[in-house]
Amino acid sequence: MSSLLPAVAEQLFRDIQRTYRDTSHIPDDLLIALKFVFGPCALQALDLVDQRSVTCLSSPSGRKAFQVIGASGRLYTCFVSCHYCPCPAFAYTVLRRNEGLLCKHILAAYLCQAMGVTQQESVSDQQMSMLLSGTAAP
Amino acid sequence: MSSRKRRRFSRDLQCVSFPDDASGHGVQGERREPPSLSSVSSAKSWDKCGDSFLDSPGIENLKSSGRKLSTIRKLAQKNPALVQTNAGHCIEDPVHIAWSSTDGEQSDDETQKQPPPQRPGRSMAPVRSYTRELCMLSTNKDDLPAIDTDSDLAESEDHVEKDSRQQISDCESESLVQQPPDLLPKPTNLTELEISGYMSDGESIGDSMTPSRLDSESFSLQTGEGSRRSVGDWVRSAQAMLQTPQKQLDQQSKTPEDSAKKRRKFQSGGLAERLNRLQCRQRSAISFWRHQSTSDTSTTTVDRPGVLVLDVLEVKEDCSMQLVHCAHQRPPGEGPHHSDPVSEERARVLVLFNRETAAQLIPAAGDIVHIYPPWQSLSTEGFSSDIILNTHFSQKVVPDCKPADTSVPRGLLSAGRCMPYYLGKIFGLLEVHRTTEENDAKVAVPDPLCSFEGPGEFPGQCLSLLEAVERLGQAGSVGQDVEVVVQRVFSIPLPDCSSWSSLKPRVPSRPSSAPPPAEQGKTRLCVLVQDSYDMFSMVQLHLLPCKDDILQYCQRWQGKTCVLRGIKVVQRVTRERRTRLFSLIDSLWPPVIPLKDHENTPNVSKESRPAGPALSFCYLLSDIVQSEMKSCRCSFFAKVLHKRVQSSDVGQGEVWLVLTDPSLQEEQPERPCKRTVALCVSTSCVLTSSVLEALRSPAACGLTFRDAITEHGVLLCAEQSVIEVCHDEPEGSLQSTTRQALLSQLLTEPQVQTLPQPVRLDPLTLDATPNSLCTLSGVIVGVDENTAYSWPACNYCGSDNLEVLPERPQNFYCESCKSAVEKPETKIQLEVFLTSASASNCTLKLKLQKRTIMSLLNTAALEGNEFPGYDVENVLGKEVGPLTAYIRVVTNKPAPWIGLEEICL
Repeated sequence: MSSLLPAVAEQLFRDIQRTYRDTSHIPDDLLIALKFVFGPCALQALDLVDQRSVTCLSSPSGRKAFQVIGASGRLYTCFVSCHYCPCPAFAYTVLRRNEGLLCKHILAAYLCQAMGVTQQESVSDQQMSMLLSGTAAP
Repeated sequence: MSSRKRRRFSRDLQCVSFPDDASGHGVQGERREPPSLSSVSSAKSWDKCGDSFLDSPGIENLKSSGRKLSTIRKLAQKNPALVQTNAGHCIEDPVHIAWSSTDGEQSDDETQKQPPPQRPGRSMAPVRSYTRELCMLSTNKDDLPAIDTDSDLAESEDHVEKDSRQQISDCESESLVQQPPDLLPKPTNLTELEISGYMSDGESIGDSMTPSRLDSESFSLQTGEGSRRSVGDWVRSAQAMLQTPQKQLDQQSKTPEDSAKKRRKFQSGGLAERLNRLQCRQRSAISFWRHQSTSDTSTTTVDRPGVLVLDVLEVKEDCSMQLVHCAHQRPPGEGPHHSDPVSEERARVLVLFNRETAAQLIPAAGDIVHIYPPWQSLSTEGFSSDIILNTHFSQKVVPDCKPADTSVPRGLLSAGRCMPYYLGKIFGLLEVHRTTEENDAKVAVPDPLCSFEGPGEFPGQCLSLLEAVERLGQAGSVGQDVEVVVQRVFSIPLPDCSSWSSLKPRVPSRPSSAPPPAEQGKTRLCVLVQDSYDMFSMVQLHLLPCKDDILQYCQRWQGKTCVLRGIKVVQRVTRERRTRLFSLIDSLWPPVIPLKDHENTPNVSKESRPAGPALSFCYLLSDIVQSEMKSCRCSFFAKVLHKRVQSSDVGQGEVWLVLTDPSLQEEQPERPCKRTVALCVSTSCVLTSSVLEALRSPAACGLTFRDAITEHGVLLCAEQSVIEVCHDEPEGSLQSTTRQALLSQLLTEPQVQTLPQPVRLDPLTLDATPNSLCTLSGVIVGVDENTAYSWPACNYCGSDNLEVLPERPQNFYCESCKSAVEKPETKIQLEVFLTSASASNCTLKLKLQKRTIMSLLNTAALEGNEFPGYDVENVLGKEVGPLTAYIRVVTNKPAPWIGLEEICL
């Protein structure tokens, strides 16, 4: 039995995207479903969405990355091409214990994208490479 | 077409969907709406549930149900949520609504005797210590330390989980302790008011609620006088719990993670606030329901609507949830028969239980599980069965025929775990997509490729476009899904609101008065698809709100295997009618992968089929120029050396570009070639904003051209062609490595050189082509006196719209930029006739630049604002060049004549 949860998550994002696009509203069912699938991280991710904490950085080279301002103001750089976040919850809940699909930061990035509320920002190629290689100052 | 019909049409079109990560974004069927998530009762049910505990008189029927100690404990945990719910919403939801899942339990007239509760009376201190004990119990579990992402809400869930386990063990040991209502102290009138429904037999719990919540969440509210507070106080304090952030906590210095954990205030009116509210209601509903249902596990018949009665087939653990394969049980009345083999006809469902519910249920194969509403059903592509979410109200039913003791070792049965999911694949939403409601589809069926017989009947998905199209005849939409490979994604401008599919072939150079595509709002997304029989079709999709969206669709779909759903035939076009389209199709012919043997693999599943051939992207320019083909498509990267814009702005009319690339600039090319190539960007080619920006900028830019047309030796970007900007500013080492990588991606040649500086150009010869660049030297043999003049221009904006100021005749006023111009720039124009050794017997007329004119005239500076005039005799016979010129016109009739313009690269 292959893992079902990613497909469920993906479908939820799609539903949110479509509903939000059509109505600029996310119905309660979808919020409840998010909470069911993602657990407590859903609430925090939605809070990040409310705060518009997700920024999509793009560089002239065409590379992109997401930057999420955590509740504390710390910046987390999440990748576009794979699921990774430097936050401890990701390392612990997702990587180590396989107890969650995503951390709240990546979830927030998905939700912001689905709702089209991701902030956009351009950075230089050099900044981007430093961000992606983890050598940038946080 | 009637409006009704049109609506149906557009719905059909929206159903084009794609199975991979791109699936359905923007084009997914509307019929899935309201999305794939359908709930038996919407989230409003939560409101109803939550409220019903508080306000519904019907709940009072429940007061006689027996209580187990553990249940009480759990209630003690869960109640605060209820209190919050009430505080927040009792006003707006005053109407009682009977909760669907309670009516089955209303007849619990158990009269079991209960020992006195462990929690004595209503004294606060013992209650609190008890709660603390609970907390300690919960944290005592040999669990790894909690991580920041789980807020206190999560912690409280953990408590619940632990608690419910406790409850189960109690339950199974059959040592149920029941608590007679009369042994408990009377509740305060307040508590009675609000929680009377379920507190009727254990009222003191109502008091303990608040402290336990406060305690476990470090709220600083005073709770000791809880029982004496008025309703107003109560509500206020509950509201405070809901809404007041713990500022003191926030101000403490702590690690970022800590502060994240404690932050409780959500943006007012935000999503988090709403979910928080819903979640509180849900939690109280769950705890209440569970409390109700524990005494009811032997019920095996369910005749209420909305209840799922499922046989558990298989259980897996997936990311701390339990994924349970189930089959619907036979209709109620028939009763469960576990000895029966699982009937294949029964509908399968996949049920997800969260950790909390799973811990309570401990589902295992062979169990019967009842899931009460409100559950939610999600249909996901790739899974044939529905997925049931939100299964908080689930109950395992112990069948009569099953010996009770078989359930004892259940705790030892550990569900198989799913492999951790692959992190290297994203969920396919990280690109923003917007679509419009105005969808449309077009399947153009080209003639000449249909040289084979259609395959046999395939159930469900169809592999042949031709078959699917022909089956439907002339009207209606294609009912079958057709699996195709998206070969090209492009956008076309909408000429006007009428149908795009004009029968007339488009002329490459439309007059510049044609509607400018760049300024037009709407462009339509199109894909060229190919089925596994190598049949092509062009599918016209929805309008793009932003022209730049095309790039995302390219990245998403191009080269991917997709499923066309709900398509409709608009027009059948032939090679004669649509030569351009067929030039694109021809460029993809013959197919990279040979025709599949469909006879032997009639039912190839979507998953097992490899994705279609991805775009093999690049040709070199030299190859294109020397190509013998009359009209073909090519894709390449090139540097734009020079731009000629017809009208005032790029995008208003067609644009001529002079291109080169490293292969054309080699010192000694392998074959003779032109150093530059002209390309016309027709108005039917949609330009994204970044391309427009690059073309407006005076700087040289690198562009990628996909599916440009070569016709009559000229490159043309028209419909179906896509231009993208390459960022290749050679600044710093990082950028240059990026550039190298980019170039090597784009060019098929492994070695990538940079362009020489200055770029090499062809010397002017008689076979020069218009709109190209050349180097030229020659002798002036004549002056076109009609075009020789000078004029003052604004030195700010370059406008010649100057007025002489009446008071100071030497000064001007620029009408364009509304400023005084003290020293206007003098512009000067001079066109001369040349003879050149490289193009003898040809009249060359060259428009000179000011710099050259000044040197010809030996004038160091213009005197004042007046051009001093010149003597034609002094100019004749002078040599010019080598200089760089743009070839404007080449004619051979009546005599060879080339019109050029000196430019500066």
